[in-house]
Amino acid sequence: MKFYTVLNGRPGRIEILAPAPECRFRIDGEPELAAHVEQPEPGVYSVLMDGRSYEARVEETPNGLVVVIDGFRFETEIADPRRWVPASAGRAGTGVQSVAAPMPGKVVRVLVAPGDNVTAGQGIAVVEAMKMQNEMKATRPGRVLTVTAREGATVAAGDVLATIE
Amino acid sequence: MFRKVLIANRGEIAVRVMRTLREMGIGSVAVYSDADRTSMHVRMADEAEHIGPAPSAESYLRIDRILDAARKHGAEAIHPGYGFLSENADFAAACEDAGLVFIGPSAHSIRAMGSKTAARQTAIAAGTPVVPGTDHGVTAAEARDFARQHGYPILLKAVAGGGGKGMRRVDREADLNAAFRDAASEAERSFKNPEIYVECLIEKPRHIEIQLLGDRHGNMIHLGERECSIQRRHQKVMEECPSALVALHPEMRQAMGEAAIRAARAAGYYNAGTVEFLVDRERRFYFLEMNTRLQVEHPVTELATGLDLVKLQLEIAAGGRLPFTQQDVAFRGWALECRIYAEDPFNGFLPYPGKLTRLTRPLGPGVRLDGCVYDGWTVPMEYDPLLAKLAVWAGTREEATARMIRALREYDVGGIRTNIGFFRQILEDPEFRGGRLHTAFIDEFFARHQPPDPPPDFAAVAALAAALHTASRNGQPQSPEAARNSWRDLGRSELLR
Repeated sequence: MKFYTVLNGRPGRIEILAPAPECRFRIDGEPELAAHVEQPEPGVYSVLMDGRSYEARVEETPNGLVVVIDGFRFETEIADPRRWVPASAGRAGTGVQSVAAPMPGKVVRVLVAPGDNVTAGQGIAVVEAMKMQNEMKATRPGRVLTVTAREGATVAAGDVLATIE
Repeated sequence: MFRKVLIANRGEIAVRVMRTLREMGIGSVAVYSDADRTSMHVRMADEAEHIGPAPSAESYLRIDRILDAARKHGAEAIHPGYGFLSENADFAAACEDAGLVFIGPSAHSIRAMGSKTAARQTAIAAGTPVVPGTDHGVTAAEARDFARQHGYPILLKAVAGGGGKGMRRVDREADLNAAFRDAASEAERSFKNPEIYVECLIEKPRHIEIQLLGDRHGNMIHLGERECSIQRRHQKVMEECPSALVALHPEMRQAMGEAAIRAARAAGYYNAGTVEFLVDRERRFYFLEMNTRLQVEHPVTELATGLDLVKLQLEIAAGGRLPFTQQDVAFRGWALECRIYAEDPFNGFLPYPGKLTRLTRPLGPGVRLDGCVYDGWTVPMEYDPLLAKLAVWAGTREEATARMIRALREYDVGGIRTNIGFFRQILEDPEFRGGRLHTAFIDEFFARHQPPDPPPDFAAVAALAAALHTASRNGQPQSPEAARNSWRDLGRSELLR
């Protein structure tokens, strides 16, 4: 069973040669590795490899899996090569940037209107969460295409507030 | 002593107060908003009363509803916690008018100390040194004139403020109007009072505060200092007792303690309170403000002195005398506290509300955890994102630091981002280890700090865990229990394809 992986932006592959618990695997065509793997809690993998004990905590997020080992965070995209479309493939290239809410909250102020020209770093909207106001900014200069944010509206993480061309 | 006490608060501090009430055999009444029906303080209380919708202006700040709840449940006293109504003199007065004991100072003392500008006047009258500033709310134009006279940088602050809400640093005149508008609007929303005052900004000060305790019979002592210089957005995130600076210059404790007592006495203060000082590089200290309530960071004082401040607050509120004198207060070892927030420190400390999917708490020698979270709880987006306070105690600062790192390594919160990993990096920092702290520490830390690279074997383990997890997920197990047992089998069936 082979997987393509992207670990913190670095592409690679992993081949599982024998399943858990007596797991054997190979990474990027390197020599075969062996590990004893158990799942003592849902999403928590206890891995014994070369006499060392690791605990990998796996979390499912909209952008892929996040694996945390002793505080180190690995943002991973992983898939079976038969179905894989990497999420990061569609992000670059188009001329339109979306300004999105990074966390759930409430829109307290909208600072631009469609047709406005904005500079990089210019505030687009102010979102309040947990009594903290955060100004969402344009990442590069352009013209405002659409403004979907409405003052007073509640937004979820990832909701688009405005688009800029 | 009281038989039943209502806690006019939520979150970890409500839980903290309830723990002492329970140890003292006193009944507890929780109040809650729509967002908090399943929060820990409601689950833990003996009795609970709903007081309104999620926005705090319609629930935790509603004096009338809180007093109704106290009457309905027969509470004799109200503990206000910190934040919300804790420094609201009208609330303290309304409690007394309703025949309820407010567990804190008198309304008069809150008025004298609760507003920062009134507190400055009180401190000046008591001969306690203060930072230059206006002694009243100002307009944007008046703030500009002040800055022209004293020079930039200046600090805009909410007259009714605390915790960094409604506070803005201004470095040049061009930024003043926008900063003033933002500060006033944040102050209006947080405190229902848009008034802003202005003062000179002391560059890179240390923040060191004195814990006070006074009874209603005229006795007042201090319980030493806490250093709270590690801050982000003007809000403390790490505290310690004693202060590394004061430990090197022990005469500072007495000098600051006496200055704090003088200022508090001038306000006729009783119960627990804290006088905050800024300390400049020449070790001169300036009165900053007085917090007329229990502080978030009180556990480090409790660990270093062996006292229960909430118990002492209750005894004082019930009319008791301080059970010991200044000479009886002994300091042992070193205590550190980290405030665990639902936020992403590596992305501008953005708040990160959401559902906790996994929780492992640190345990073992010298560890204290004051929290309000449980596995499966959704952190509401309406309130401060403080999840818990992790405090440790050990013999020396070095040992306490090692113990805190150990405890943070055991602490796992899944589903949301937290600052747990960030604290580990700060605790490893040579400047922190050397006790060279100031309130801009975190900004400078980010500028000089390179996040450590993971050991190379970690990447292999991460790839393995992700692959095995994906293999099990593709089989779409029916339940967590099924997931647990079937992922291994799914791995096998995948191999046989």
